[in-house]
Amino acid sequence: MKINPQRFFRFCESHAPLLRGLVEIKGELSEADVRRLIRSIGNANGELPETTWRSLRELQILVPAESGSDFYFVAPPVTRLIEYLYDEARATTPQIIAGYIQSLDALGKQLSRAIDGEDLIVVRLALEEMQQTLRRIYADLDETHRSILTEVARYKTERQSFSVRDKFRRIVNWMERYVDPLVEIVSEEGPLRATFDEIERLLHRAREHGLFNDLPALERNTKHLRLVSRHALRVFQQCRRELQPLYETLRRSSFIAEGAALALERLQREGLDGWVETHVIASCSLRLQEVPGDRAIERALRDVIEHPPEPAPTLAMHAEEATPEEYLRHVWLESLPDEVNRNLPVDDLLGWIVSRYPQKDTADTLTGFTRLVFDGNFSARFTTSESRAYETSDGELHANPVELTTV
Amino acid sequence: MNTLPHLQEIFDRLRRGSHLSPEDEPAFSAMAANFEAYAEYFEPLGLRLERHPREFFYFAPESAESVPETLPRIAVFSFILVDHADNTGKPIEDFLLNQHFFISRLPHLSLDRYAAMLRQVQVEDSADLRQILKNMERLGWLKFHGEEEFRFLRPFHRVFDKCLELSAAKNNGVNAAQSTQAQP
Repeated sequence: MKINPQRFFRFCESHAPLLRGLVEIKGELSEADVRRLIRSIGNANGELPETTWRSLRELQILVPAESGSDFYFVAPPVTRLIEYLYDEARATTPQIIAGYIQSLDALGKQLSRAIDGEDLIVVRLALEEMQQTLRRIYADLDETHRSILTEVARYKTERQSFSVRDKFRRIVNWMERYVDPLVEIVSEEGPLRATFDEIERLLHRAREHGLFNDLPALERNTKHLRLVSRHALRVFQQCRRELQPLYETLRRSSFIAEGAALALERLQREGLDGWVETHVIASCSLRLQEVPGDRAIERALRDVIEHPPEPAPTLAMHAEEATPEEYLRHVWLESLPDEVNRNLPVDDLLGWIVSRYPQKDTADTLTGFTRLVFDGNFSARFTTSESRAYETSDGELHANPVELTTV
Repeated sequence: MNTLPHLQEIFDRLRRGSHLSPEDEPAFSAMAANFEAYAEYFEPLGLRLERHPREFFYFAPESAESVPETLPRIAVFSFILVDHADNTGKPIEDFLLNQHFFISRLPHLSLDRYAAMLRQVQVEDSADLRQILKNMERLGWLKFHGEEEFRFLRPFHRVFDKCLELSAAKNNGVNAAQSTQAQP
């Protein structure tokens, strides 16, 4: 469908931010995505969102991803126009340049055949097409240069966004994807130069055969070939110079960061055992052990010689005369289970203790009682009999009788 | 030989594991001007004097039977700082060597992950961090400006060297494994 240019550009004039927003999204867009963008960007003319949405499709700014699909993408010519207007460069891939070289090779063969066949029209057509291809190469190279400059500037200004290792990976990608392969292609020994040399030779041949009388056109083509060749090499040398310092800095930083991350990860995973030997930054540590001087030796000897003799200490080796109270108490407590065992069952345990050991004080009586109650070989039961009074050597206890039997 | 200037001061510093950098004048200039003579002097004592490419000096460490407990702490502290610089996207060497730091703003205790790693080397709080920094100052790796503020000195490059060594070891291991797999 033909688009009315006036209507197209009038729409563009009043919807420039929307168009830029659409191009920046990249990839497929659903109708909801587009409507959301239309609402968020708004419109100064008071146009309804529905009208904007319809115009986008009618003007073929948005085209369906496939027939009948609900997904759309920005038409490539519009994308190119917006990128051109906003000076947003896109890097040329080595495959694109290789495609141009193949195209020039094919044109060279066509030109060669046309010269042999003295076909003036084909010579003219081939030359025109060559001009176009050369202009495209020139423009694409320029765009690549600009996009690399933008990328480098972004690295320098957006320091907080990515880790050093992520930045390094991106720079490596740029170097490996774009710069290095393209330098290979456009270098003195590369395929671009070889193709250009061949075409220049053919142009000379055409001129010698007198087939093509437009000598200025031939001159222009030859000059253009040399210009593009020089330009290509210069552009990629510049790109490399832009990226190389960044690459070197990030490369070193990235490896440093990787080493630290590895050390921390191993510490976290494996703990400190074995970690110290390989991860610690060792440093020298010399302990000085000095030889004693003459004066120190002399003083030490004098101390020994002048030390007054003392009788050896004597140790009291005989046994204590009195048996310790605590020991006797311990022996008594340990004898209680055997003693009571011979009198079982006992109806009143506390009564049995005070009658058998009337000399014991209240504390010893209760300790003996507890020892027997909690002995694993006996069973103690608190009876319901009336409370009784039990006299000890230093006091009186009141309690309900406790019966003791074997387990 | 005995006429080498500042010999006692230099030996006394280096034997404790300290590093000699431009902050240590006039001993540093004396050694920089006559490095070979100092190296020859110390050699018969079994001490190898090292001149780092970033221009600072230290005695090459012997393979110690027991590592002082301060060194693992310093290592963990330093690796965390490098990791933090990486995460914030800052060029690591530039970030660590060309600015002043404040103890209260260090990232070490602000993340649980870092704090857990520090606990493995018995570093629990900011007082412990301060002690690590004091130990690093004794090694000649940093210089305090007041009680709170400090900056790293050139010998901190030994941390970067260790990081590069660990990274290279890992990558060599990966490469070796890949070449082994590639062989039929």
